[in-house]
Amino acid sequence: MPAIIARDLSKTFKTKVRPSGRLAALRSLVKPEYRDVRAVKGVSFEIDDGELVAFLGPNGAGKSTTIKMLMGILRPTGGSATVLGLDPAEDRVELSRYVGAVFGQKSQLWFHLPPSDSFRLLGSIYEIDDDDRRWREAELIERFGLAPYWDVPVRKLSLGERIRCELAASLLPSPVALFLDEPTIGLDVVAKREIRQLLAEAARVDDTTIFMTSHDMGDIEKVCKRAIIIHHGEVVVDESMKALKRRSLSRKYVGVRYASPVDLELPGLSPVKRTPTAASFEVDTSRHSLAEVVRALASRGDLEDITVEDEPLENVIAAIYETRSGAEAQALGLNASKGAGAARAGEAASA
Amino acid sequence: MRSRCYAIAASTSMRERAAYPGNFIGSMFTYALFVFIFSRVWAGAYAGASEIAGYTMRMAVWYFIVAEVPSFGFGRFFWTLSRDMKNGQIAYLLARPYDYVGYNFAEKYGGSLVEAGVILVEGLLVGILLVGPPPLAGGAPSLAGGAGVAAEASRALLVGLSLLLAGALNYFLQASIAMTAFWLEENEAFFWIFQKLTLVVGTLIPIEFLPTAAATLARLTPFPYLSYAPARIMVAYSPGEAWSLVAAQALWLVLAAALARIVFSFGSRRLSVNGG
Amino acid sequence: MLGTGRNGPGRLGGRTRAYARFLRDAFVVNLKATLEYRVNFIMQFFGMMLNNAAFAAFWLVLIGRTGAVGGYGFSDVMLIWALVSTSFGLAHVVFGNVRQLGRIIMEGGLDVYLLQPKDAWINVLASRTVVSAWGDLAYGFIVLALMNGTNLERLALFTALAVPGALIFAATFAAAESLTFFMGNSSAVSSALTEFMLSFSLYPEGIYGHGMRWILYSIVPSGFVAFMPLRVFRSLDWGLVPLLYLVAAAYVGLSYWLFRAGLRRYESGNRMDARV
Repeated sequence: MPAIIARDLSKTFKTKVRPSGRLAALRSLVKPEYRDVRAVKGVSFEIDDGELVAFLGPNGAGKSTTIKMLMGILRPTGGSATVLGLDPAEDRVELSRYVGAVFGQKSQLWFHLPPSDSFRLLGSIYEIDDDDRRWREAELIERFGLAPYWDVPVRKLSLGERIRCELAASLLPSPVALFLDEPTIGLDVVAKREIRQLLAEAARVDDTTIFMTSHDMGDIEKVCKRAIIIHHGEVVVDESMKALKRRSLSRKYVGVRYASPVDLELPGLSPVKRTPTAASFEVDTSRHSLAEVVRALASRGDLEDITVEDEPLENVIAAIYETRSGAEAQALGLNASKGAGAARAGEAASA
Repeated sequence: MRSRCYAIAASTSMRERAAYPGNFIGSMFTYALFVFIFSRVWAGAYAGASEIAGYTMRMAVWYFIVAEVPSFGFGRFFWTLSRDMKNGQIAYLLARPYDYVGYNFAEKYGGSLVEAGVILVEGLLVGILLVGPPPLAGGAPSLAGGAGVAAEASRALLVGLSLLLAGALNYFLQASIAMTAFWLEENEAFFWIFQKLTLVVGTLIPIEFLPTAAATLARLTPFPYLSYAPARIMVAYSPGEAWSLVAAQALWLVLAAALARIVFSFGSRRLSVNGG
Repeated sequence: MLGTGRNGPGRLGGRTRAYARFLRDAFVVNLKATLEYRVNFIMQFFGMMLNNAAFAAFWLVLIGRTGAVGGYGFSDVMLIWALVSTSFGLAHVVFGNVRQLGRIIMEGGLDVYLLQPKDAWINVLASRTVVSAWGDLAYGFIVLALMNGTNLERLALFTALAVPGALIFAATFAAAESLTFFMGNSSAVSSALTEFMLSFSLYPEGIYGHGMRWILYSIVPSGFVAFMPLRVFRSLDWGLVPLLYLVAAAYVGLSYWLFRAGLRRYESGNRMDARV
């Protein structure tokens, strides 16, 4: 049985229309005007036990709303959600015993106190015996390297240290599934890498199902095995990370530099950037053989350097985000990354 | 022209306050609630007496209405000044080409006049609703006709003047306390003491109610001139007493302004030595 | 898969124990957080004592002049201040978020509490303490210690009366804040209610008319946190104490019901990102 099932999940918010003008402001006090905002329009997917899923989408796509419906914070307007066999909206409290959460922006630690105090209180919130809690704490302290911060008030920790404590805190009750909303937001490169490693380890050691949103491609590539992209409130892509990367493999960036000026006329392929001794090309591998292109370039002169790069995953996703509707984005699923690829080609060549 | 700069600062901050009348609703509500409760307290206190310490019930209620106007209109200078000092804004403000004390006075005091005016008008309305119009300026109603009108007019003028002086005095005293932040990290305690003394000495209750020794002592401090003076002029108007109260207010104002300048000149010197 | 064996018979005792443990631990954590801010606490304690002393001085002067006001002598007024202060303090010590609830709802801050397996209402309310409230809590006992005729029984009765008072305070404030679910922003209503309740509670019951008293025993329950406890305390009538606990239970029940009803409309701060 899948760990998470979303069927046709939708959520509509009523938003008060902001009145303009003084009289209108008065009128809206008496009879406010509302407008429906459909944040999520029928989202469906299933996630198996122990899967690591990236939940992507541009700002305002409905990611947070969906995650909140799965956790029982928001009531769906339509459709249904089942998480670990429970209906989140009805059995929120029961579900919360088995589900952990890290929201990059919202802390479950006491700001003015050291993590040790928060963990103790969390122990009583989750009704963990003191002995069990200490045992689990010791394990998490070691795994997350928390010993140096254990008795330091959270307000004195760096953001990276704080998020590490947050993650450890969410794992204290040994959750079956872990939801993360932008866990690495604002972190530096090293802290990001540490958090990713810890997440991957949590998934491996405890066999935890992980469902995370992020805008950071690194998070997604390093941690997740599957990507669900929603846009305009609908699922537009749901495939394995491998398949998503394969989309980017159809486009390569080739950069060359020669010792002396050369003639670089290739049939059907013009450089996106050109100097007398160097050039870069965007190669659509469905039309040109990469091997032939490289051979041809090598034969033109005294080659000093050659680089072949994949199209960054970011471009693939950006192309999907740039669409204006769910249908358009889904159509793009067939030949991904055209527009964004061209736009970024210059950048890649100059790199 | 320096004074033009201050006039502009004052009128700008007045217009800014007036643009958001919604900001006053909270204090207008609290003020009305206070006046209502105190009108009931005085009704209870006057249940067995028609006059206490020379005040009738109507005088006592009107006294409270006027005495609370400075607390609501001019009671928060300390906080706005402290905010400037603590968030480091002062380092920038000091670098500007104007006299810091004078400019701040123009801006903060100017802005507060709007709120004080709103509260005063509200007080007049609430007072009339609760206990009827204030006692006549001429004392006995027999003094009707031209003399009565003249007395009413000069009372109104003197109450207004006295309120303005009370506000300015309030500003410079609070500014002096706020500027102790040049030396002290925690200076709120001084303000609280100041605020509560203002409350007891002449705001909640007329000075005449205090035991004789306490009343005599109180009159030697600036506190009666922050709220007692305008309220007293309002409910027991006599030109002689009114002018002497206003003169005492002016004297204290000069002293308080000088104090603020002294504190500032020592404090800012310290700031430029130690840095913000 | 999961979700078996929920709340069957026999779980009730376990649940109560789990909540008792949670409240105790939350209290300990809050206490520690308070101790992080000792200096701040001492300052606020000082400010509160000063404020209360100012009003005590007012009452001393007034009652010295007039005798009892609204049926209350000086010690009666001091006792309602003691009862209200301790109840109010206790409410904010244990349920420190009670007056932040509306803001928490509005900004989507309930999420964290909804994700934990404890009742969200208790969890959110008990997850914070208000440092200054410790001073208010202590104030009642300080008054009691200074008062003639305080003995162990009076101390016990006072404490027994402060508990339902605290529950009624917390329930009333929480109810006003829960209106945020329905109104979008209830801060005006709840700050008005807070002011009403505190202001009305601190003055003699006798100064209010009959119409007002209906309000003071219903929507603004000053009667149940001040006037009725004072009567019980004065007459040492333990028999009425359970009645106050029943009243407190009713207020808590109503407040809880309102929160649950509102929770179904909770929008988790998404309102902000929903663009129009």
